Amino acid sequence: MFGQLLIKECKQTFKSLIYWLIVLVLLFDFATQLGGDTEIRKEPQKGESGYGYRSSDDPTLIMKATLGSLVEQFAYDRFVTYPIGFYKHVTLNGKEEKQIEEILQKTTGLSGRAEAEQAVSDWYEAQNTAPGPDGAIMPAKSMEIAPAPDLTYDRFSAYMDEVDSILGGGSSYAKDAREHSASVPMTYEEAMEEYRELTEQDRLTGGYARLFSDYMGIFLGVLPVFLAVTRALRDKRAGMQDLIYTRKGSSFAIIASRYTAMLVMLVLPLLALSLLPLSDCLRYASSAGISADPFAYVKYIFGWLLPTIMTAAAVGMFLTELTDTALAILIQGAWWFVSVFTGALHGGAYGWNLIPRHNTVMNWSGYHDHFSQLAANRILYVFLSVILVVLTVLIYQQKRKGRYRLSWNLSGRLKK
Amino acid sequence: MESVWQIEKINLKHHIPLHLLVCILLLGISPLLMGVANLSAEDTAKVLERYVALLGIILIIPVFLPEQDKNLRDLVYAKYRSASSVYLIRLLGNGCLLALFLGGYLWMLRRGNCTFPTAAYFLGTYAEMLFLGSIGLCCYGLFDHLVAGYMASMVYYITALGSGPKYLKMFYPFSMSMGSYTEKFWLAAAAIALTGIGIFFRCRRK
Repeated sequence: MFGQLLIKECKQTFKSLIYWLIVLVLLFDFATQLGGDTEIRKEPQKGESGYGYRSSDDPTLIMKATLGSLVEQFAYDRFVTYPIGFYKHVTLNGKEEKQIEEILQKTTGLSGRAEAEQAVSDWYEAQNTAPGPDGAIMPAKSMEIAPAPDLTYDRFSAYMDEVDSILGGGSSYAKDAREHSASVPMTYEEAMEEYRELTEQDRLTGGYARLFSDYMGIFLGVLPVFLAVTRALRDKRAGMQDLIYTRKGSSFAIIASRYTAMLVMLVLPLLALSLLPLSDCLRYASSAGISADPFAYVKYIFGWLLPTIMTAAAVGMFLTELTDTALAILIQGAWWFVSVFTGALHGGAYGWNLIPRHNTVMNWSGYHDHFSQLAANRILYVFLSVILVVLTVLIYQQKRKGRYRLSWNLSGRLKK
Repeated sequence: MESVWQIEKINLKHHIPLHLLVCILLLGISPLLMGVANLSAEDTAKVLERYVALLGIILIIPVFLPEQDKNLRDLVYAKYRSASSVYLIRLLGNGCLLALFLGGYLWMLRRGNCTFPTAAYFLGTYAEMLFLGSIGLCCYGLFDHLVAGYMASMVYYITALGSGPKYLKMFYPFSMSMGSYTEKFWLAAAAIALTGIGIFFRCRRK
């Protein structure tokens, strides 16, 4: 029964206008967003003018950069946070200001606003007058300040967590942000090391498959909800709901086959699109003697993208079955909005974001070091999706028995 | 005139209360999500263009929704008053509500000590609201599909966020935060054209 329904649902999805619009959007995303980034990285050569920058994990540099920012914001009473990626100016009350002042005193030895202002002014004066390597005046570097001599990194971390909490979260003193606060220019050796990670640990295709997942994930955080809402409202739109309710098939088989068909039909274009960058990678790998992983894209599509697709589709099915409206689009749209604006872009800080970002083919170590975090994230969304699908089955079952019908006066005209 | 008010009254009472609720909720929670005080002109434009303008999608697209049911549509189309005039009255009403929401939000930003050119930002954001909504309205009319309408507007918004002005050129919706208003004239003109196309196709569909 399930197999027959699944094939039927796949055929229905194939004929759906919304499905082909989704495929078009994915094609567009692939061509415009990913297109420019698929050029295979060449091995760094000695004597190049620069090899880019990398985040430093040196505790002293992190403390200097983070405390520099704190002193500057305290001096001008201009505390800034980015709770969902938008600028937010935080105004502190007297008690909170006193707490920050005490933390500043313990971490830098500076006491009071006057001393902080003086430190800022001294820093920029020195920066603006310091000649660069070729004798030219260099543009000012972000403020740094030496930590107090007896300050350990653990104590520093605890104090910064406190500052972040006082500011309401989302500040540059939060753990993830401060750990990326210090950046240093890469040496040739470091650039080579990163390249080796790409070609040996990631086997070339791994890095590109991650980038593919990063770009496609942005749209896949919301597109499946359109398909799910369309499918859930289709019977009602065609006036066939009551007829289908009386059919023999179990509610589980009907809902599960619809859901699985959506997942299958959404994964297929991804697999097809991945063939293009995969063939580029394999061609380059064979000429450069790299042992590439031909299944990397498949692994990332199922491991990285599928949980996002599952969640967006499950939210769509559940809310549409619950309300008989297109409300799921607005809810998933809002979730997408928050997810996209809060994610760390270059990987290594995946958190619980629905759309984990890793917008570079490099940074294998960031991915590797935080793999357990990423795995927990993906498993959570798979579980959430399963729960939502089970709830959808229960609602559908009650509807078939005539026991559930939401009286939705306000949205009377949102129906269909 | 009385029948115009009657159409708008029914729209307000039966068709869009939920949409209004979502708009109020979105604006109401914004101070928790982002800064709405002491913003520079650039940061104010970001909040307006990337967040407040989304209200256009919520309020413009459902203009065709009451006649989604084909039987109801046949009945409405058989009436003396033309369907297009009913749509235009609803559109005008929802457009006024959008202006009210936007005006209220700008007033709040002003009270929060944000510095920005009020009239220019009002008109710029309003043009974007109408444009984002009219993309969906046009697709809704073209395909007779509410979901296609929402999808078109949201995909346009995401594309603008992701690609910047590179592909969208004169139709880039977030130009105000880059200090340019020229795009807003194009958006306003496109909004009028798309709305017209949407209503035309909708009225042709029997």
